Amino acid sequence: MAFSGALTLTDLNDFLTPSQACIKPIEQANEPEESKVPGAAATEIVIDSGGSYYEVSANNASSKNIERKLQQAQISLNDCLACSGCITSAESVLITLQSHTEVLNFLSSNPPISTPDHKIPVLSIAPQSLASLAASISSSSGSPVSLLQILRRVRAFSTRILGFEHVYDTTFARHLALLEHTREFLERKRGEGKLPMLASACPGWICYAEKAHSEMLPFIARTKSPQQVMGTVVKSWFGSRWGVQPDQIYHVSVMPCYDKKLEASRQDFYSDLYSTRDVDCVITTGELELMMREKGWDLSKPVENESTPDFDAEIPELLSHPGTSSGSYLQSLINSITASHPSPADLAVKLIRTSDYEEFTLRAQDTGEVLFKGAKCYGFRNLQNVVRKVGREAGVQVGRGAAGRMVGMRAKKRGGEDEKGYDYVEVMACPGGCVNGGGQLKPIARAAGQKEDEEGYARNWQESGVEMPVPGEDGAMQGAKWGNKEWTMEVERAYWHDLPTPPPSPRPDTSDGPFDCADHLAAQVKVDLCRPTDSGVHDTWASVMDEGAERRRHEHFRTQYRAVESEVIGLAVKW
Amino acid sequence: MDVDPPYKLELVADLQGHDERAWQVAWNPIKPLLASCSADKSVRLYSYRAPDHGCNTVAFSHVGTIPTGHTKTVRSIAWAPSGNTLATGSFDSNIGIWEREDASDSEDAGGKVADWECVTLLEGHETECKSVGYSSSGTLLATCSRDKTVWIWEVKPDADFECMGVLMEHSQDVKCVAWHPSEEILASASYDDTIKLYIDDPSEDWYCFLTLSGHKSTVWSLAWSPRGSYLASSSDDLTIRIWKRVDEHTWKFVLELKGHERSIYSISWGAGRATSEGLGWLTTTGGDGKINVWEITESPSSKGPLAAKLLASTSGAHDVSDINSVSWCPRPDHADMFATAGDDGVVKVWRVVSQ
Repeated sequence: MAFSGALTLTDLNDFLTPSQACIKPIEQANEPEESKVPGAAATEIVIDSGGSYYEVSANNASSKNIERKLQQAQISLNDCLACSGCITSAESVLITLQSHTEVLNFLSSNPPISTPDHKIPVLSIAPQSLASLAASISSSSGSPVSLLQILRRVRAFSTRILGFEHVYDTTFARHLALLEHTREFLERKRGEGKLPMLASACPGWICYAEKAHSEMLPFIARTKSPQQVMGTVVKSWFGSRWGVQPDQIYHVSVMPCYDKKLEASRQDFYSDLYSTRDVDCVITTGELELMMREKGWDLSKPVENESTPDFDAEIPELLSHPGTSSGSYLQSLINSITASHPSPADLAVKLIRTSDYEEFTLRAQDTGEVLFKGAKCYGFRNLQNVVRKVGREAGVQVGRGAAGRMVGMRAKKRGGEDEKGYDYVEVMACPGGCVNGGGQLKPIARAAGQKEDEEGYARNWQESGVEMPVPGEDGAMQGAKWGNKEWTMEVERAYWHDLPTPPPSPRPDTSDGPFDCADHLAAQVKVDLCRPTDSGVHDTWASVMDEGAERRRHEHFRTQYRAVESEVIGLAVKW
Repeated sequence: MDVDPPYKLELVADLQGHDERAWQVAWNPIKPLLASCSADKSVRLYSYRAPDHGCNTVAFSHVGTIPTGHTKTVRSIAWAPSGNTLATGSFDSNIGIWEREDASDSEDAGGKVADWECVTLLEGHETECKSVGYSSSGTLLATCSRDKTVWIWEVKPDADFECMGVLMEHSQDVKCVAWHPSEEILASASYDDTIKLYIDDPSEDWYCFLTLSGHKSTVWSLAWSPRGSYLASSSDDLTIRIWKRVDEHTWKFVLELKGHERSIYSISWGAGRATSEGLGWLTTTGGDGKINVWEITESPSSKGPLAAKLLASTSGAHDVSDINSVSWCPRPDHADMFATAGDDGVVKVWRVVSQ
């Protein structure tokens, strides 16, 4: 279970048990010599100071004493993704393949502009990462900083110090993802696909579903996550505008979550034609902050014009989609259904135990008819219940292999569902959602002696490699490992900083809305990438194009999932 | 210490039938019914009858076998306090919830084989489930696994369950879960040598409020004292530790017992033949095939440590086999009776009698 909340680079002892055998076989190039003494080890393995492995004959009497350099097993991220999962090895691979050092190495070895091998370095940063940086700066300096200011400062750092040529936030890509996501929901509503639809933006959830609940895969939206839509926008759309091929761009994204690294590494987001990924490297908020510290950049210092919105930007900046700080997937559907319904509708929100699980019911004011029922469901525990509920309501067998057959007929027949099931669930693996992602900055250490909120998520910072004063043994009230709830709320506040509050149920403006410009550009991106040849007018995202263009739309904006066979190997387990 | 114990163990029943090692025994808290589970993936049910005119000892008879359908060993079983529901935890990582098809006819204890049906399957553990247990109110079920997690489920109407918590506190295989006899406090024991205690934060999630360290090896089994002010643990370090509740959320180590030569796999704390200062009888068993029965008393000074007296001890209780489980009969009229399950696939019932 690869959840970013629990998954940090220093926390290598993840609770997921390593698989008993790595699926990646080690190819043995060296033919083992026949052993003289049966059963006796003929050679020893020696490690030199450089970390290389050598096979040495154990028989020292033999004069030759040949050392043979052994090949290191090469495990790629893809091998790990295809496996039922030892996240520990996956993590160590991540450390080298997707790290800020990798970014720095690339930038320093990138041939100069105007040479043919030069790649255009592009940085895309998630709004949740900006919020984490903003909360950190605001809390240390005492004065609130907006996401826009942080974006400007990150851009200044990335272009001036690191050498990036373009820096964007990912909210326009999210806008495209939300449009396509809504389109997909309406398709399913028409019967083209299964309901309830489940959110697809959280890679922790996707990984878990693929490994443990393959029966959920048909319900998960096929729409790409904002990160991967941004990959398409950068590599394909910007690429053609700039007159370069996808492999002539190096695209780095900054994300609140380690699992985004796994997402970017998926085979589905690799172009065989150009041998390049839509996102070449993913670093976390924490890694970006580390880079700034290493380069001596002070993010608390203002840069010029940092509060002036740039209306001439290539893509709209910091589109604040109302709803949740995890992407507003549910709210965008509610807005769309409300807007298309001929009469007014009322939205009722029901809290289930905590704010991490809320039910939303949209009813027509006049008839009382339920137009839509959805839920927001964050955190591993709530996710379990949603999987059970969706499985029950949709009548799919929740269970690996033979397990589902155990439940008796009577039990299966039981419970004629009177209540309407969900149409949609916004699923996120981290409690508190993406603002509490595992890649986010840790809360700033408070004055020593001040105890953490005992009711909070009180992450075990020391275990995560963060130095903190040792709390007294008394009481020893530890919370779960998911992070500090109070701090998460501060990041949440920073996320919504540019708005007074998250508007409870905003009505989509029909004229002059803040998203008009984005909608217009979205239609252009669609036309540019999908190249419709029909005579229709395609000035909206939703307009249906000819078959070829629709196929290209799917290639650019949708993806797929596959079950990973998980095996409980009981080999050595006797007790 | 070479004085012979004042009591001995008398074999009441020798219940054969499992094809492979028997893992655990569980007494139904309401009905005269004993269940056992095994690596043969089945659960066997035995009813028992108090001595009457024709028979001067408790008589056990096999009344049913649930084949379960688990694809691997059934490692653990637990009755709900109602006595109507049985939970099975399996190495196939799933938990089965079993109810009788027609729960209304309660006059005969066991019922027919076909009567028991799996009403729910709880999934979530990544690897082998090691232990299951119902809370005293029957509204919560806890499970634990080699995947290092402890899960807490709320029992809902219509055999529905809601996951209330996934506790990732242990750094290794979790061997055992045990609920406090009256409060909603859960204890878990692990291969990481520790015991963890958990409570619910009503506005949030379940969390670990206390870790008991001291055992030098795997903690295999836990048993609360009948009134809940003590917790006993048995370990691979060949010791039994007793922890006393000194404050609402604080337990302190007060007594260590020795008396086994191999891992102590199972421990059970029953009321025993109550005496005024008595805390009941503790029985332990394990890899050495030995069963020990101790009487635990609070010393009169109340400040001082507990006192433990070995009442009875038997070696080779399942011949040369390891003994995996021991459990006191919960019925007051049979407070001197307990059952064991061994690697020989046999379930035995014993009574503590005077020498």
